[in-house]
Amino acid sequence: MSTLDTSLPHEQRRSLASPNHWTRRIPVYVLVILFCVVTAFPLYWMIVSVVQPIRLSLQYPPPLFPQAFTLQPFIEIFTGQDTAQRIDVWILNSVIVASVTAVICTLLSILGAFALSGLRWRGQAAFGLMLLTTQMLPEALIVIPLYATIDRLAMKDNLVTLALVDTAFVLPICIWILKNVFDTIPTEIRDAALVDGCTRLRMLWRIMLPIAAPGLVAVGVVAFFHAWNEYLFAASLISDRRLYTASVGLGSMISMIDTPIDRLMAAGLLFSIFPVIFYLLVQRYIVAGLSAGAVKG
Amino acid sequence: MAVQTAAQRLTSSSTRKQRDYLPYMLVLPIIAYEAIFVLIPIIQQVISSFTSDIIGIGTVRWVGFENYERLFADRNFWNSLRVTLSFMGGTVVLSVGIGLLAALLLNRQFRGRSLARGIMTMPWAMPDLPTVMVFFWILNPNFGVINLFVRWILPIEQTPRWLLDINLALPIVIAIAAWKAFPFYGLVTLSVLQSIPQELYEAAKVDGATPLQSFRYVTLPEIIPTLMLMGVLACIFAFRQFALIFLSTGGGPARTTETLVVSVYKTAFASFDFSYGATIGVAGFVAVFAITLLFAYLQRRQEAQASS
Repeated sequence: MSTLDTSLPHEQRRSLASPNHWTRRIPVYVLVILFCVVTAFPLYWMIVSVVQPIRLSLQYPPPLFPQAFTLQPFIEIFTGQDTAQRIDVWILNSVIVASVTAVICTLLSILGAFALSGLRWRGQAAFGLMLLTTQMLPEALIVIPLYATIDRLAMKDNLVTLALVDTAFVLPICIWILKNVFDTIPTEIRDAALVDGCTRLRMLWRIMLPIAAPGLVAVGVVAFFHAWNEYLFAASLISDRRLYTASVGLGSMISMIDTPIDRLMAAGLLFSIFPVIFYLLVQRYIVAGLSAGAVKG
Repeated sequence: MAVQTAAQRLTSSSTRKQRDYLPYMLVLPIIAYEAIFVLIPIIQQVISSFTSDIIGIGTVRWVGFENYERLFADRNFWNSLRVTLSFMGGTVVLSVGIGLLAALLLNRQFRGRSLARGIMTMPWAMPDLPTVMVFFWILNPNFGVINLFVRWILPIEQTPRWLLDINLALPIVIAIAAWKAFPFYGLVTLSVLQSIPQELYEAAKVDGATPLQSFRYVTLPEIIPTLMLMGVLACIFAFRQFALIFLSTGGGPARTTETLVVSVYKTAFASFDFSYGATIGVAGFVAVFAITLLFAYLQRRQEAQASS
């Protein structure tokens, strides 16, 4: 280490002042650890409450680290006698809704993103503003007329209806995300394809979509988990217990006071695992698309 | 399309001289879709606000501005506006502020940076329902671990009842919402920070700037436009927030957490007064549209600055 080299005091001073010297980074590490602990604590606490026997969770003060280990709550939520609380059925329903949403949304996003990226046309700005307004609109403000119409058409208690409604609200974000991805494809590539005699739709299909494949996955993931997380429409449009999505099912567990806490946390954990993993994988795309132009470059 | 010559195709994509129908054909399905699921419901909502439609009581009839007169005289409506503004103000400042601090921290060089970044992403990825569940449990008046933490810091015997406490419920809901929202603003700010050229900092250093000065004169001007955009975005996200508030407090205790969207939902689905709920909703549209225009304006100004 140069700090030991007493013959070069000048060097020594510089290395102590350099940001690479470990002593200068101690405050950063302390802050980072503090930050991570506070941020991750709720998730950690959820895991602790699942993996330790419930009697330990219900004593005061609760142990901050699990004192014993069990996976009983997971078994219970799948094999519980109470047929009203079938988390496997709820999750299956959520997967159906989320998959339909992801497929419709990805297809429509391709159209919208292509129109916004590369093509120039009158009304582009108006279309953008329409998307933005839809994206900003709180679902709760139009749940009443949507509910009334769907009720009149006898389309309540239908998982596909729910997916169609969810799509309307996640579509704008997906279009922005995909537009940002399309924008990164160099115009030379597009022009070359056009000169070679491709139609623009063929160019979209054969050239742009393969390049934008990771973006398409990101859009699918965002749409999927939007529907997966969605509570308001699911709660108002689904009343048949057999058709409960996981979010409505979990909501019903919260309102039932006698649900044991370990089972509740196990259900919550199961419900969170998939979005947490997938968001970690595609977060870059989402950040760029969600802020819709807030980040340039 | 298929019979076009190569030359025609080139001109239609690169100039606007020729009428080009392709973009319109592309966006038509999207516009139709959003019209069915968003635009028509909005119109229905506005029409409904001029009627009387209480489920189970009589038939729907036209009442003119009656609902609006009731709205302006309704103390609960003004209360919900106040709660909405407090909730918005609180979550915007907290989540954007913490997001900025987190981004500044994660922008430094240290080992395990991507792990810290991953941990920061988690609250944002967590769905609303498990979030409410775990905070319910942490804040449980009898068994919640929060009681332990509070007694570490404060010498109190009797801990408050947290979400059931009339003075604490709103601040707690704000804190939960900020915990869930700050990672997004942190990630956005981080990506802007990383795009600031390193030479600017080196130049500032050569000029003898202290770290605080280089933050003030190099970092801040670069991120202020983003911070403003995120502020507006945060306003909208806070305004939309439903599940988190509704499930953690149901608007209570004593309506102290009943925001506008919660009150729309409760009026329609708990009191079954559809048309009055719709009327509150129309007031919400006005607010959302105003904020959206502000967002579009700021965005355009930022793009103009970036290109000049």
